[in-house]
Amino acid sequence: MKERALPNPGWGPLSALPGNPLMWVLILSEMLVFSAFFALYAAERVAATALFNASQRELDPLLGGLNTLVLLTSGLFVALAVEAVSAGRIRRTRQWLGASMALGVLFGVIKGIEYAGKFAVGITPETNAFFGFYYGLTAFHFAHVLFGLALLALVTWRTSIENVETAAAFWHMVDLIWILLYPLLYLLR
Amino acid sequence: MLPGTRRLLITWATLMALTLLSMISAQLDQDSWQALPLWSAGLVIAATGFKAQRLLMVYLNLRAATPAWKGTFVGLVVLTLALIAGGYLVARLTG
Repeated sequence: MKERALPNPGWGPLSALPGNPLMWVLILSEMLVFSAFFALYAAERVAATALFNASQRELDPLLGGLNTLVLLTSGLFVALAVEAVSAGRIRRTRQWLGASMALGVLFGVIKGIEYAGKFAVGITPETNAFFGFYYGLTAFHFAHVLFGLALLALVTWRTSIENVETAAAFWHMVDLIWILLYPLLYLLR
Repeated sequence: MLPGTRRLLITWATLMALTLLSMISAQLDQDSWQALPLWSAGLVIAATGFKAQRLLMVYLNLRAATPAWKGTFVGLVVLTLALIAGGYLVARLTG
């Protein structure tokens, strides 16, 4: 590929990536961090299989699945916002961003219901190693959701192609991590 | 070049279908909690891998990047899934 045909000429090896190259660096580093946590979880599970199996029964995989559907749909809306802003349709862009943020908030509400249910029966991060991972991983992910919501709100205010593309990439990364997290914690037993 | 509305909608439908397939494959309707059959667990992991690939290629538009970058990100997803699957298998076989 010739340098001038690249999406980001002048960025060296990152020139070939679409959107903001620095966001790809963040995505790569976040994927590595979460992969390291997943490896730790896998190792701990091998060391305490019975405990992890018994604890996993306390989770609600339907709520986790519902949140997956919510987040993936929110990702679609953000991608449609990128299409809209590229076509110069600012009002429509803001509508898609608003719809995406609404689903992000819904994700948080469902997660809150899940946490409240656990705390109500005395299940906390200190309960055992499994719940340490459960709360740690999902809360770390949820912190990314909150930051993503703030970014989406910011680009709804300061709407430009570059801004919307950058926030969208972060939001899709949040999606991607959840896609990997969901089967690990909720489904594989 | 952006993916376009049609491709985004097809991808979204695929992602939703694969999520539902994973949930069904994980047999969430069972009254009694049991370990998954290995084929079921394999299906969950395969569906997850395909979802991650579609999200990278279409939502994140990585298809516009060079093969080296596509390989890097898809390779990292495969490695992550291998870690998840490996840990799960070892726990199943030794637990």
